[in-house]
Amino acid sequence: MPKYGMTIDLDRCTGCRSCMVACKIENNTTQNAFWMYVFRLEEGKFPDTKISFLPRPCQHCDNAPCVKVCPVGARYKREDGIVATDWDRCIGCRYCEVACPYGVNSFNYKDPKKSQYMDWEDPDIQVATAGAVPSWANPSLNEKYGSENRSIAGSNHIKGVMEKCTFCVQRVEKDMLPACVDTCPTHALQFGDLDDPDSAPSVAIKEKDGFKLLEDRNTQPRVTYLGSPFGPGAREIERPSVKD
Amino acid sequence: MATLTNIPVLPYGVGRIRRGWIASAAVLLIIFVVGVFAYSRQFIHGEEVTGLFDVGTRGGAPWGLYVVFVVYFVGVSTGLMLIGIVAELLKIGHMRSITRIAEGLAIISLILGALSVIVDLGQPLRGIIGFFQYARPMSPFFGTFTLVVSGALFASVVYLFLTVRPDAAILAKRKSGLATFYKWWASGYQDTPAERARRERSSIWLAFGILPLRILAYSTLGFVFGLQVGRPGWQSALQAPGFIILAVVSGAALLILVAAAARRIPGARDELSIPTFSWMSNVMTVLLVVYLYFLLAELLTTGYTSTEASWRVTDSLLTGQYAVLNWVSIGMLVLATGMGGWQMVMRNYSLSMMVAAGGLVTISAILQRYLIIVPSLTTGALLPYKEGTYAPTLIEYGVVVGLVALGALMFLAFLKLVPILEIQKEND
Repeated sequence: MPKYGMTIDLDRCTGCRSCMVACKIENNTTQNAFWMYVFRLEEGKFPDTKISFLPRPCQHCDNAPCVKVCPVGARYKREDGIVATDWDRCIGCRYCEVACPYGVNSFNYKDPKKSQYMDWEDPDIQVATAGAVPSWANPSLNEKYGSENRSIAGSNHIKGVMEKCTFCVQRVEKDMLPACVDTCPTHALQFGDLDDPDSAPSVAIKEKDGFKLLEDRNTQPRVTYLGSPFGPGAREIERPSVKD
Repeated sequence: MATLTNIPVLPYGVGRIRRGWIASAAVLLIIFVVGVFAYSRQFIHGEEVTGLFDVGTRGGAPWGLYVVFVVYFVGVSTGLMLIGIVAELLKIGHMRSITRIAEGLAIISLILGALSVIVDLGQPLRGIIGFFQYARPMSPFFGTFTLVVSGALFASVVYLFLTVRPDAAILAKRKSGLATFYKWWASGYQDTPAERARRERSSIWLAFGILPLRILAYSTLGFVFGLQVGRPGWQSALQAPGFIILAVVSGAALLILVAAAARRIPGARDELSIPTFSWMSNVMTVLLVVYLYFLLAELLTTGYTSTEASWRVTDSLLTGQYAVLNWVSIGMLVLATGMGGWQMVMRNYSLSMMVAAGGLVTISAILQRYLIIVPSLTTGALLPYKEGTYAPTLIEYGVVVGLVALGALMFLAFLKLVPILEIQKEND
């Protein structure tokens, strides 16, 4: 059984945010939901400023606070290291979201089909799409995955349940890379089996010093950052606008 | 007792529906229906109709008013049950007259607490089934549900059943429309000395069981917050003990308010006398001092040892977006402590002053819960997210007010079924 993990080389990241877009397209996440998010950070005072970027997927922690608090076992840790959310079982208490130190969860506060970027039921749009399958009807997102055979892939399913990054389980199980990793133009993101010393992330970890995000919280993330961390005075700039 | 001889069949207005009762019930029913309507909006459209948003990029609070009232209602219930049981166990004479009110209110507010959890869920129907099907003991919520909602509710109902049984046996002998109901409640109880001893023994053992169960149960609700590594401002060993202290304080405050209102019930005025109220006022005042001490200890600990993130939460309470609410709330607690302390020192108790203190504490206890829960969510981010905000919407207020109205309705019904004061001593 592979133990998946990711490395993010901060020196290579240019902050282009194409991983965020790839994630949205692959998983059909709704407006305001950013399973992959790239912080654009600024430190110092003009003109002595330093810009840095911090991609933030779910950290798929080995000691995940969200898994511990889920009252019904909808949030669970798979044998391959992925922290999954069963949207068939989630009761929508949002305890996982409250418990997560990284703020990676997004809740379907309304019917997700109503918070898509495009209204597929609009007659004008139906003419343009010529009866194409709406993105949320992507059949691979509705399949069940893993030995547990549970509904854990993709976003946009039902209102009142929690969702988050799945490491693109629907792709990984077909031996493909997560969408964000596949898209990154600078190979800042690497994904693979951390138990395999020759896998891309294992090699990257050997070659460069790294750190884990909020390591002092003892969450034991499966995402390793390579390069230097952002400074304590870093503030966020260029946030995506959110819509209520 | 002199007052009781004036009452024809059932004492304390039990079983008799008057115009005032109908009018209050009607008003409460209307408010409750408004609450149901508000909840129906949320049920249909999802929680987008509330002021709740995701933490992180959305900068909101995923828990808000509903969770505040889960903590408040369950807290009041815990406090009332503890007061009722301790009064019964220690046989504090002046407190005997309010134990029945305390037990009834405790059960009602526990039901309201459970309902507040349900209205907070994104998938309420799944929640009800899921807890039976998939419950995980690792989650602090498991304790909340098994201990608080099922264990404590069951134990409290059995306890009330046992304590009311002798009264039911007396009332079953009187001719009234409720005779069958009391016969069922008395279930063969004759009040013989042997039976009385057995009943007392079983309620004392039950009380000994309920006492630690309630403390443990409400502590798990404190642990829901206190055990989180991801929320600065919540991690504190004082979280659970603070919850228990504030629970008894808010329970005593509500009891003062309700007992003062209950003095209008025919025949109850003499029993619900100033010494009874002064006992409750003293309990409230002493524990208020303990709570204020906890607040100070917490502030000093955070002030000296906090990380940058947890100081941000504290700072939002001291000078930031929650400062006004926080200082108003603390001011009210201090004022109530002063009022209670003054009366205690002067040994001169005034009912209106105690009721005013009870009102101040009730409002402030709700605010305190809000100030524990919300600031950590909106300002406690560990990654450089922007500071968030939370403002409850009319729907949320509507649902909460509807729940309070439901509780008041249940209490009105309780008044008409169960004598609000023990009548057994009439036969003694």
